[in-house]
Amino acid sequence: MTAVLEMVHAGAVSVSTAESPLPDLPRMRRARLDRLQHQMREQQIDAAVLLHGPNVTYATGFLPEAVDASHVIHQRAVAIVPVDGPARLHAHLSPTSAAQQLEAVDGAALWPELDDDMPRVRRAIEDAIGDLDGKRIAVDAITGAMDRAEILRGAELIDATRVLGPARLCKTADEVACIERAQIINEQAMDVARARCVPGARRSEVAGALLAEFRRLDSDHNEIDPIFQVMPRRLADDVRSNLGAAAFPTGIEDPTFAEGDLVWVDSGHGYEGYASDYGRTWIVGRDPSAEERACFDRWKSIMTATIASIRPGATLADVGRAAIDANGGTPPWLPHFYVAHAVGLSSAEMPMVGSDLGAEFDEGFELLEGMILVLEPVVWEDGVASYRAEEIAVVTADGCRLLTGRPGYLPYEAP
Amino acid sequence: MSATTDALLTARRDRVFAAMADADLDALVLGRQDNANYASGMHRLWTAGTRPFGAGCVVIRSTRRTHVLSSWDAGLPSTMSIDDLYPATWNPRVMAANMAGVEGLADARRIGVDEVSPSFARAAARFAPAAEVVPADDVMSAARRHKFDEEIELISRACSVASAGVEAFLADPAAGVGAVIEAIAARGVTIPSSAPVARRLPDGYTVDVGVIVDGYEGGLGGRFAGGRRLGDSGLAAACRAGATHHDLAAAATGEWLVRGLGMGFEQPVINASLGRNEVLEAGMVVSVTDGERRDVVAVTTTGPDILSGDQQGSSNG
Repeated sequence: MTAVLEMVHAGAVSVSTAESPLPDLPRMRRARLDRLQHQMREQQIDAAVLLHGPNVTYATGFLPEAVDASHVIHQRAVAIVPVDGPARLHAHLSPTSAAQQLEAVDGAALWPELDDDMPRVRRAIEDAIGDLDGKRIAVDAITGAMDRAEILRGAELIDATRVLGPARLCKTADEVACIERAQIINEQAMDVARARCVPGARRSEVAGALLAEFRRLDSDHNEIDPIFQVMPRRLADDVRSNLGAAAFPTGIEDPTFAEGDLVWVDSGHGYEGYASDYGRTWIVGRDPSAEERACFDRWKSIMTATIASIRPGATLADVGRAAIDANGGTPPWLPHFYVAHAVGLSSAEMPMVGSDLGAEFDEGFELLEGMILVLEPVVWEDGVASYRAEEIAVVTADGCRLLTGRPGYLPYEAP
Repeated sequence: MSATTDALLTARRDRVFAAMADADLDALVLGRQDNANYASGMHRLWTAGTRPFGAGCVVIRSTRRTHVLSSWDAGLPSTMSIDDLYPATWNPRVMAANMAGVEGLADARRIGVDEVSPSFARAAARFAPAAEVVPADDVMSAARRHKFDEEIELISRACSVASAGVEAFLADPAAGVGAVIEAIAARGVTIPSSAPVARRLPDGYTVDVGVIVDGYEGGLGGRFAGGRRLGDSGLAAACRAGATHHDLAAAATGEWLVRGLGMGFEQPVINASLGRNEVLEAGMVVSVTDGERRDVVAVTTTGPDILSGDQQGSSNG
């Protein structure tokens, strides 16, 4: 593992990897519904009513469009999941009867935002679950209209995170394959964006090139306004924050790049709803200096040591300590984030290493096979340079495997 | 970076406070980005799709302050101070402490929310023990229903960005949706309100583009041939003050939808089966879909003002 990473980061070798396996989507959907219903049985939950996109996808396979939240919310897909049997999907977009392909039971589109549609929402829930009285129902969102109409009256409501959280924590091989494909597409499209990130270019142009390339790669699930943030060399020059660390990602400016700009890059793009996470640091218009390379080298040694700590049975604290030790005793990450988080159907999910959940949480949480860790250590030499990049690792039976770094990358990706 | 003036931010916020007074709400906890943006003017990173409900923005009537979840002042409007921010956290206990730190929330009697989850309801019982948590999505929706002139200008500008996307595709159809994306990005815009459509037909093209520019949506769609949009916009022309469900249904020629448009998708939502009691009012802006055609229309006292007008296609006004 370490040897491969060294090769990738050395930049001199183009690593050709074997074709990653294609996910078996029907198998993946069955496994997810099984895991969800298993959690529901364990926790004596009679049914789940799901409105949050990633949860609906997990239960049914249906993918909401990756567009503005106001649109997704008003044209929500709703999944109603009994503890046994198929999930019921109520989606607005089903050109070829999405639900049949998804093995969910197809229901008519619902408008859970609208008071007008509450009689139909009530009927849909009662059709799937029956009388709610005394039932334990997992739910992730209750709209104002549902609240006013007391749609779930009589039921004991449980936060759906309690069943979806544990179900989603360890990924099946098919889910891992989805993340890997998302990452391959993301990295491939980033080649185009990198070439466009030159002096005089605007962030929006570079982002547009990336988004257009996603489309050319036949992919339409961009999950975040792509981040190409010019970082100050000195913290004192940054925007005001209460962090004592760089403010990232602010995601709001549209700067024009100049030679020597240090650009922190971050994008997230999904395959079957599974998020990728591309993180790199670029220098605009010139090769990195010796000092900048030194930052990269330090980052590389931290990343290498952190990856080496990942295996089943290791705690989150073990991973955090590996990063801190490799950085001479100081946490090498942004204090408002973490040194690692997972991706799945959400772009930041559990487990997280070094978050403000605290040391006790990290000590008590052991890694299991199938968990994902996106490592994102940051090296910041104030007044000199910084380096931030991300690697996605999946915990395997005896260590971990990287889903990133194809076809390898150079320090700062100087073109 | 924001094109929104302080006057608009203040006017929006005043409307929110007035709506809170009418609804007897001491506080609002807003999870939705568009509501948070409307009330506060804070610009934050855009992400696609739904988010789990959480306190993205807290509005307190007694102090007339808006508080926003952010760890830094990038995107902070001049109508707010850095002291109005509370930092992002993964820890529910830290979040509860953040909420406890918002002056006026702990002793609120009625807290309005634009969505809720069981875990938020439980948390609220701790950080505001005396409070009744009530739905207030309708309060926000009503406050946003009528647009200020400046909002209509911002929507109009967003429509012109969408229009540039359509024109770029018609000029280079082989480039597909990528042409749309790059053309709007060249205008500094990288946020889609809806999924772009750009398809070649045997005798023309179907195009639909929707964007968010400085928080406001614009868009248009339709069937194009010979460089112009085909069909009429009879439904758009019917969007007059006082128009009822019956009037709109009578004007529609295909599958239709008339819905509010402002900081994204808004209410009312009117189609063949929904919104039977809705009446259009001057000051509303609506997205009007009739078959493949989609327009953005400002409802005025003197008739529909089509903001998504193309030079050739529209003869309404």
